Amino acid sequence: MLTRLTVDAQVPGDAVLDLTEMTNQTIKLGAGLRQDCDTIQVTGAGRLRLSKPNKYWLESSQKRYVPSVEDTVLGVVVDTKPDNFLVDIKGPNLAFLPVLAFEGGTRRNIPKFEIGTLIYARVVKANSIMNPELSCVDATGKAAEFGQLKDGYMFDTSTGLSRMLLSSPTCPVLEALGKKLSFEIAVGLNGRVWVNAPSPKSIGETVLMWMLWHY
Amino acid sequence: MEYVNPLTGFRVDGRRPNEMRQLKGEIGVVAKADGSALFEMGNTRVIAAVYGPREVQNKGQQVNSKEALVRCEYRMAEFSTGDRRRKPKGDRRSTEISLVIRQTMEASILTHLMPRSQIDIFVQVLQADGGTRSACINAATLALADAGIPMRDIVTSCSAGYLCSIPLLDLNYIEDSAGGPDVTVGILAKMDKVTLLQMDAKLPMDTFENVMELAIEGCKAIANYIREVLLENTKQLECQRG
Repeated sequence: MLTRLTVDAQVPGDAVLDLTEMTNQTIKLGAGLRQDCDTIQVTGAGRLRLSKPNKYWLESSQKRYVPSVEDTVLGVVVDTKPDNFLVDIKGPNLAFLPVLAFEGGTRRNIPKFEIGTLIYARVVKANSIMNPELSCVDATGKAAEFGQLKDGYMFDTSTGLSRMLLSSPTCPVLEALGKKLSFEIAVGLNGRVWVNAPSPKSIGETVLMWMLWHY
Repeated sequence: MEYVNPLTGFRVDGRRPNEMRQLKGEIGVVAKADGSALFEMGNTRVIAAVYGPREVQNKGQQVNSKEALVRCEYRMAEFSTGDRRRKPKGDRRSTEISLVIRQTMEASILTHLMPRSQIDIFVQVLQADGGTRSACINAATLALADAGIPMRDIVTSCSAGYLCSIPLLDLNYIEDSAGGPDVTVGILAKMDKVTLLQMDAKLPMDTFENVMELAIEGCKAIANYIREVLLENTKQLECQRG
């Protein structure tokens, strides 16, 4: 019933760690794992990963996103309130983007975002109890490419593909595309990608080449 | 009518009493859904689509704000049975099965991890040949795993009956409509816990225990198959990403 710890594919209900066998160790549990008395159980289908010394998590790829702090995401504005914009980031709840969370943001120069505006932001607060909170400034208070993304084309991907596009060293697909075409790309860890290019034909080519590769 | 041949021991479709129908499961069949699966048990074919966790659409339905709201809808396609159905949903049987599937899946989903959100499970029967309830639960499990919704364990379901004094596993439509008892069991596979137990008609207690044991064995066999399907799918994802 207990599978030995292997960095391998798991299924919900598998017990992967026996805490009685590991004494005097602190283990950090990431996404997809939960503690059940003396064993660590898996809650989803994916691969078990270990980051030395003691962090375990389940790596999987879905269409929906689980918000976590310091992720950069692409959101779509669905509503405006006096204090926040309500932004859809493909998570369990809508995210709040405070109207003042922009570089040099004051009550006098609140940006006017219509419903459907695409925003590149980072997640500042994320827990299951509250709605996640976003911000369009980085830690030092500068805009740093965050904010509204104009023109271009946005499409949905899985979270696994977004993570791969953002991996380092640079993803080979982006390198190969970059050699042939010139384009701008913004990848959200929540499974959204935005592409912009000088001519509509280049955007179409970029998206087409990406789709041919992906499917 | 003889449902089990006394000479050969075969049933009407050529199976042995403890033999299940052929299983087939496929993940990711509905592109728009967050998670989806197609599950076949013999001629019974079912599609499940899962949407969520997403923002609650109808605040009136949300009873407990500390947990996710799980909604389930069971429909039979008009062409799924021999005679074209007049009312694919909203009739008593569909409402009951929707409730049963919802309660079964809720026992496994870790709803406290996604408070104030909503998970929708839609199951549609494309071909009905007995055991649609079980096929729907199995398909819903695959779809929920495809959507990445955290679960305690795999939920599987199977039915068993008792005809000609022999316990039979996985009844098809002919055996189901014979008028004998039909026991449907749903379990959490690794944890070995029963989440669904339904029976129509009557059975003496000791016979009932045998029939239920047989159904549970069928559930465990389905759980092994579902595990394989999920592991295969996970390995394929890894290959795609490179």
